[in-house]
Formats: sequence, C-alpha cells, structure tokens
Amino acid sequence: MRLFIEQLLNGIAMGSIYALVTLGLALVYGIMRILHVAHAAVFTIGAYAGLFLFQLTGSLIVAFLGSMACCALLGVMIERFVYFPLMKYPPYVPLIGSIAVMLSIEEVCRLVAGPYILTFPAKLPFPDVYLGGIQISSTLIAVYSITAAVLLVLWYITTHTELGLAMRATSQDISISGAMGINSHVIITLTFVMGSAIAAIAGMLVGIYYNQVYPTMGTVPAYKTLALIVVGGLGSVPGAVIASMLLGTAETLLIGYANIPLPRDALAFIAMIGVLMWRSEGLLGSSR
Amino acid sequence: MLLEVKDIHISYGDIQAICGVSFCLERGELVSIIGANGAGKTSILNSVMGIFPPQKGAIYFKGQDITTMPVHQRARIGIRIVPERSRVFPRLTVYENLMTGVYGLKNKLPIDERVSWLYEVFPILKERHNQIGSTLSGGEQQQLSIARALISDPELLLVDEVSMGLMPKLVEQVFGVLEQLNRGHGLTILLVEQNAFASLNISARGYVLETGTCVLHGDAKELMDNPRVKEVYLGH
Repeated sequence: MRLFIEQLLNGIAMGSIYALVTLGLALVYGIMRILHVAHAAVFTIGAYAGLFLFQLTGSLIVAFLGSMACCALLGVMIERFVYFPLMKYPPYVPLIGSIAVMLSIEEVCRLVAGPYILTFPAKLPFPDVYLGGIQISSTLIAVYSITAAVLLVLWYITTHTELGLAMRATSQDISISGAMGINSHVIITLTFVMGSAIAAIAGMLVGIYYNQVYPTMGTVPAYKTLALIVVGGLGSVPGAVIASMLLGTAETLLIGYANIPLPRDALAFIAMIGVLMWRSEGLLGSSR
Repeated sequence: MLLEVKDIHISYGDIQAICGVSFCLERGELVSIIGANGAGKTSILNSVMGIFPPQKGAIYFKGQDITTMPVHQRARIGIRIVPERSRVFPRLTVYENLMTGVYGLKNKLPIDERVSWLYEVFPILKERHNQIGSTLSGGEQQQLSIARALISDPELLLVDEVSMGLMPKLVEQVFGVLEQLNRGHGLTILLVEQNAFASLNISARGYVLETGTCVLHGDAKELMDNPRVKEVYLGH
C-alpha cells in the first residue's frame, strides 16, 4: 500500500509537469490552430535560463521570474517572426517552421552551454513532509503547489476576466472576435506570453526534480505533449490537463506494477490511439 | 454623411468579387443591398467592417478614411456587424456572447442597462441567459447575434442575410426589430439581403448588385416597382 501511494504521488507529480508543458501548447493550438512543437524548446530554455539565473543570484524566486520573462519574450519572438509570416500558408508550413525553431534552439543550447548534463543544485526553502509514514519530498510539494497555483490563476483569468473572455472568443472565431472590437494580434501575443511563461516554470521544475538540465530535454516532451493535446481534445485546456494527469499517473503506476515490455514514452501514443478510436475529438474536444 | 464607399474592388485570388461599387448612407437611414447568391453582397459588408478590406477604392466613416483601419478599431469607432449565419461564439454563454460586444468599452457604457434593454427586445435571450451559444436554435442564435452587435450602441449596423434559414414568422419578427431600431432609435442600418421584398419594404433606399457591380439604385419604393427588380427578385 505504501509503495502504491508513493508511486501515485510520483505519478501525480509527473502528470503535473506534463500539464504545465501541455497547457501552452493547448492555448496556442486553441487560438492559432498551429502545432507549436517549438514550445518544447521554450521549455528547455526555461530550464537553462532558470539554472543560470539561480547560479548567478542564488535566489529561486529571481530564477523563476527571470526564466518566465525570458521564455515569454522568446515565445513572442517565435510568434512574430516565425508563425505570423507563415500563417497564410497551409498548416504544415508553420509546423515545419516550428520544428526548425525547436532544432535550432536545441543547437544553440548545445553551443552555449555544452552538450553535457548540468545539475540544478537548488535547495527548496521548505522541508520534506511525513504523512502516515510516507515521505513527501519538498520537490514534490513544490511541483504540486506550483502546478495548482498556475492552474488556479489560468482558470481565473480565462473565466473571470475580460482578457479571458477575449481569449475564448478569439479561439472560437477569430474574425468575428475582431468585429467585436477584440484586437486578435494582442490576444495571440498574450497567449504566447502566458503559455511560454508556464513552459519556463515547467522547465525549471523538471530541472530541479531530476537535477538535470541538458540541450535535448525538450525532445520527449515535444512529441508527448502533441499526443496529450490530441487525447485531451485539440485546443481544450481542461482536456489537456486531465489527459496529462491521467498519463503521468498511469505511466508511473504501470511501470511500477506491470511488467510492460514497452518503453514508458510509448504509453502516451497507445493512449492517443485508444482515445481516438473511442472518441475521435479527444476527451473534451468538440467536433468542428 | 455617415458612410461613403467609393469605387471599391475586391478579389479573392483570380476571382473578382466586387468591381467598382460605390454607395453611401446618411445618418439614420436604412439602406438595402439586394442581389442573388454570389453577387458580392457579403464581400461589401466584410470590406466595410474590415474583415476583408478592398484592394482598391476607399471607405469613409464620418468623413474619416477607414479603408486600411483594422477591424477591431472599426468596431470601436461604432461599426458593428450581424454576420451571415449569425456566427455566435458556440462555447460561450448567451451573456458572455453579449459581453464580447462591449470588449474594451465596459467603463464607457451602462452595461446593465443595455443588457436589460436587449432582454426586453429579445425576451428569449433572458430565458437562455446561461445557455451556451451552440445549444440555441437558429432563430435564437440570430437574435443573439443582433443583440451582440447592438449592445455597444453602434452608430452603423451592418446586417448580413439575417433572414437566411429562418422561419417566415421569425423573418417578419427580426425585420420588425430592425425597422423599430431604425425608426424608433435612429440607428443607421446597412442591410444585405436575398429576401428583396422584406428588406426593401423597411428600407428608405436600395442598391441592386449583380456579379459584383451595382446595376440599379434608388428609392426603395421605386425599386419595388421596377419591372426588372419585380421579375428577378420579387417573383412577379
């Protein structure tokens, strides 16, 4: 039982991290109908920027805020200089552009920081917690609480603010939202800012959780998050979060308990195929 | 003059949709543009709204050249549209759909008063207050689309094929509301319609569009008596 609870806690943490990375992708797809593969590279930059700022200042808060700002800027640059000029072409053109950006950023990381795995020796400012003999590490607590805070803020923005209403309207009909006085360019930019800042948080949390930062750390999330937004329902933010949580938990429990001869990362795609066979629009997607 | 459209040309790739159309609207007028399917009526409304600006020609609103002005800015200076097939936001509630109409204007308008007035004009929307757009019937979506355009108290309302897909009784009701808004509230309306009889019946003037060019224009009553209009559009 104790092992099961520990595995479950790890699974939820894994699902939380998947959710943070997938959120940005779901937000961008929802509004621009672009598969923003380069989001995984933004996640990598988030980890590197956080690590360098932490080494420079010794403050995790400065590292988090600086990394978020850096990634928000990178996200806006990708939107302005890559997607915006390519939007007039068929959807596979911005997708190819996105893959090119991801590979370029990985190479930049390799050139600047080296091809090695760097450690992220952050010490969180609170202790581990013991509940009924089960140890919950401070890293796990940080992952849970930061994910919960991000989801809460995002939920509040999208459901209780004028900006959130404009984001939802723009994602449903971009030309009519313009005719309602909503500046879709500003809304798209703000969506990239939010999604990229959340990716920075995810990148730093992964760096701290695994104590590793390396140039290709975004490769697996790049394709896994694509599977997750399809499973959740393309463009559905709640769907993406639910799919992430289910996958993180299922992966951890199945690897821990069942002798599955498949690599862990294949599970996301098996889930994607299964869900699409059962419900082609994904868990919470709407047929358009 | 509230709106002046001068010699606009619109093409989609190699297809020329509008070729040198000019027209104008005085403040407080209700003017119809009638024409068959594919005549270019929607293209004209979309160019005035800024959804698809013209490649040539000019559009003036209150004397200001708005030809290259982005769509959201045109909305904020008082031009609103009831688009073809209503196009309400399908996953927003009725109330949220209305609130998109006052985006960026919340501090400038008495929102609660406007909502109450619209719920009086369209009582079904009050009943459907928390229902999401996609679950409304075609007629209810059309009413929501009109209400969403009206909530910001526009100076010019562009109405695109409002009768399309509606039952005859609802068409009568919707045209009645538009007439009331024009006569009772002095709202300037540019109406684009295939239903020539219903639209000319409530209009002061009309323009007849055929394959992207304006072939006739004049007083609505005179147009209704015109043999060509009678034969082609009124079925006499």
